[in-house]
Amino acid sequence: MIVNSVEVMFGGQAGDGSLTTGDLIAGVFKRMGLEVYTYKDFPSRIRGGHTNYVIRASTHADYGMADAVDALVAFDLEAVQAHIDEMRPGGFIVFDNTSETVPDELRRGDVTWYEIPLAKIAKEELGLELVRNTISLGVLGALIGMDPDVVRHDVRGVYARKGEKVVDLNVRAIEAGERFVIENFAGRPSGYGLTAGADGDRLIMMGNDAIAYGALVAGCRFMAGYPITPATDVLEWMSKQLPKFGGVVVQAEDELAAITMTLGAAFTGVRAMTATSGPGQSLMTEAIGLAGVLEIPVVVVECARTGPSTGMPTKTEQSNLNHLIYSGHGEIPRVVIAPGTVRESFELTATAFNLAEKYQLPVFVLTEQALCQSKATLAPLDVGAVEIDRGKLIAGGEVTFGEYKRFAFTEDGVSPRVIPGVPGGMHLAPGSEHNDAGVITENARNRARMMEKRMGKLVAMRDDLPRAVLHGVADADIAILGYGANRGPIAEAVQRLAAGGVLTRFLQLRTLWPFPEDDIREFVRGAQHVFVVENNYTGQLMQLVRAVVGPLDALHGVRKYDGRPFRPIEVIESVLDTCGLALHAPGDIAEAI
Amino acid sequence: MAVMSPKDFATATPSWWCPGCGDYGVLSALKQALAELGKQPKDVAFISGIGCSGKISGYLHSYAFHGVHGRALPVATAVKLANRDLTVIAAGGDGDGYAIGAGHFVHAVRRNPDVTYIVMDNQTYGLTKGQSSPTSATGYVASVSPDGNPDTPLNGLALALAAGATFLARGFSAQPKQMVAMIKAAIEHRGFSIVEVMSPCVTYNKINTYAWFKENVEDYTATEGYAPNDRVAAFRALTRDGDIPLGIIFKDERPTFEDRTGLPETPVAHVDLGASRADLASMQAAYR
Repeated sequence: MIVNSVEVMFGGQAGDGSLTTGDLIAGVFKRMGLEVYTYKDFPSRIRGGHTNYVIRASTHADYGMADAVDALVAFDLEAVQAHIDEMRPGGFIVFDNTSETVPDELRRGDVTWYEIPLAKIAKEELGLELVRNTISLGVLGALIGMDPDVVRHDVRGVYARKGEKVVDLNVRAIEAGERFVIENFAGRPSGYGLTAGADGDRLIMMGNDAIAYGALVAGCRFMAGYPITPATDVLEWMSKQLPKFGGVVVQAEDELAAITMTLGAAFTGVRAMTATSGPGQSLMTEAIGLAGVLEIPVVVVECARTGPSTGMPTKTEQSNLNHLIYSGHGEIPRVVIAPGTVRESFELTATAFNLAEKYQLPVFVLTEQALCQSKATLAPLDVGAVEIDRGKLIAGGEVTFGEYKRFAFTEDGVSPRVIPGVPGGMHLAPGSEHNDAGVITENARNRARMMEKRMGKLVAMRDDLPRAVLHGVADADIAILGYGANRGPIAEAVQRLAAGGVLTRFLQLRTLWPFPEDDIREFVRGAQHVFVVENNYTGQLMQLVRAVVGPLDALHGVRKYDGRPFRPIEVIESVLDTCGLALHAPGDIAEAI
Repeated sequence: MAVMSPKDFATATPSWWCPGCGDYGVLSALKQALAELGKQPKDVAFISGIGCSGKISGYLHSYAFHGVHGRALPVATAVKLANRDLTVIAAGGDGDGYAIGAGHFVHAVRRNPDVTYIVMDNQTYGLTKGQSSPTSATGYVASVSPDGNPDTPLNGLALALAAGATFLARGFSAQPKQMVAMIKAAIEHRGFSIVEVMSPCVTYNKINTYAWFKENVEDYTATEGYAPNDRVAAFRALTRDGDIPLGIIFKDERPTFEDRTGLPETPVAHVDLGASRADLASMQAAYR
């Protein structure tokens, strides 16, 4: 019996409307008081191609994918073929059999089949094939026990702006779906008990929206970007909102322009950012070095996808960590921070702007497709808690020319920063090595001092960096490290392992550079096994961890590089298999705890 | 308007240019133009690229930015958007603007920000010791083209005209008076203004010398009846065979990028970030 944990998948062709229906059902789950996570698995094309949208509901906030799909709504046979192996035994499939039939070899006997001519009903009863999505929502609601009033309420809400006729059509589609289930199938599939609670004051928000919102609240008033999946949402959001707050957004001609525009605006005193993904990040590399040497505060959001080259543009991966840490010729101080939840996407983006301005360097906010394009439920965000600390900025008044030195040597390596327009502050900001006044020089002693000044900021900033979050039992024998979207599946694995008698500790890293060596050393102390969970082939995080803790036999990589996010069972099984452990009761592995 | 002198725009930094470099003439004309316009160094943002000509930003007392190769224009565009009260000037050589930066050049023209761009054209790569540049003549013999440059030279101003330029001028660094006048007009032009200056490289380009230019330039706009608002006439002037035309070749009015992006009158750099907290919080209603 799985109570209050369900994973629903809508599968069909891109453009079928799976996203709209998926968002609708996510909203219904939210209003039923459940915590929701959504995951978009769509092809890199606009029309056609298999797409699916996963909605996972549970009673735990910030969980990710479940172990398996409980309910698959397959609008075509391809969806069954693609996902039959992901079905949980005991789950069910709603299949549109209007024009296709399921061949026997695909008919798993441990799932229940509800074959319904969705398209036919849509066309014949409602006069519009397009509404088969909404019919499927009615079917699904009846099968898993969604509150019918909430379903109607949300359908009305979503279609309200399209007029009463469309609302009415969709409500009738819901009714048609519910009716079909009642008339044709006896009772609900066993095992799904969704108890309705109170929605409370909560939001459902996508990671990219939270990043953009965090930037706006933190005072970002300039963004330049070049469209790229999965980062474009940030550019679109900012395009709508920034002008309302006195800011401006530029769609640049390429990422070279996007990042150099961001530098230009930041040099002029505006909190500025860009957002991109791997291919764009590669193009931005040279200018990031310029930001480092000119000590210009810029925030660069990296919404990672699979690489190399074009990779799989709409799929998730954590393979750009090395790139963010090491890319570029020469050496500059830089910061890489990685949110693990939608809430942290908001909070850490705001933090990024303070770090950038306080220490006058580039700050990367690293996220990935499985978080930045996923939606999750969360308590309202506290705008008032966002503080704006502009560091040693001199935006008004005047300075004395000759005395003022833009790159002055200071104890913390951070120099007072004037912006154009301030009397007396005129200087050259050169990408070439320069002295404290900005005059280009190749003097050996100055070069060494300047390197120490710039790189020293990484030490000065230690206390301001986002700390790692400890989950689980602090002195457990088994230690797990991870970051980003893996926070959800790892945290769930930790809880379920504990319920089965296996205690673990999990350190969710939120600052990835400068690498939190002390925190990691402290965290792994006394552990018998250390697992590093990440979505890449080469173990980029594990290599950093190994450099800190040494070559331990008990250091294990748990890696996935097929473009899909971890499911918690994958973490659980890795831990149990590697450590030769079993849970007290096998049943405890279930998601209900 | 404050009375300014070219000296007010001088820096103490000694020049790294070769004696006799055409860029000296461009720098002194720029200082003269800024002084005559009564500009204050604090209000001038001067963005340059990389190369010999890119070094010019070190020699103008202003808020100067010497960035990466080919990217002066995106930086300058953003500086203008960030603070529209500034006088924003970008500068660089023909390699910086027409080779590595050619993509940005076309898009800056399309956008039409109120930025002045000075291209110092010496038809060679000076700082890397004399290779062919995008404006080198076909057949130009250089270290990387020992059998002669195989490429056709780029006509930057004609390219800009095709992309929707609103101000095009060409000068010669040995004709300071004309240069001062066109740089002043360019800065005063509301929109993206391009001043291309024939600026000889005395060290590497032994073909396109001062003497050669004197023989091969013509003050075309002094021609009777030439109207710089005629796009077709401008294109004819820029692409004809014969002498290189000098002067303000084309001028047009079009909304600037600042206008079209709906930029508020208050410079973005001076927006009060503490304001509108209530508005910001209320945005969450869309996610409930």
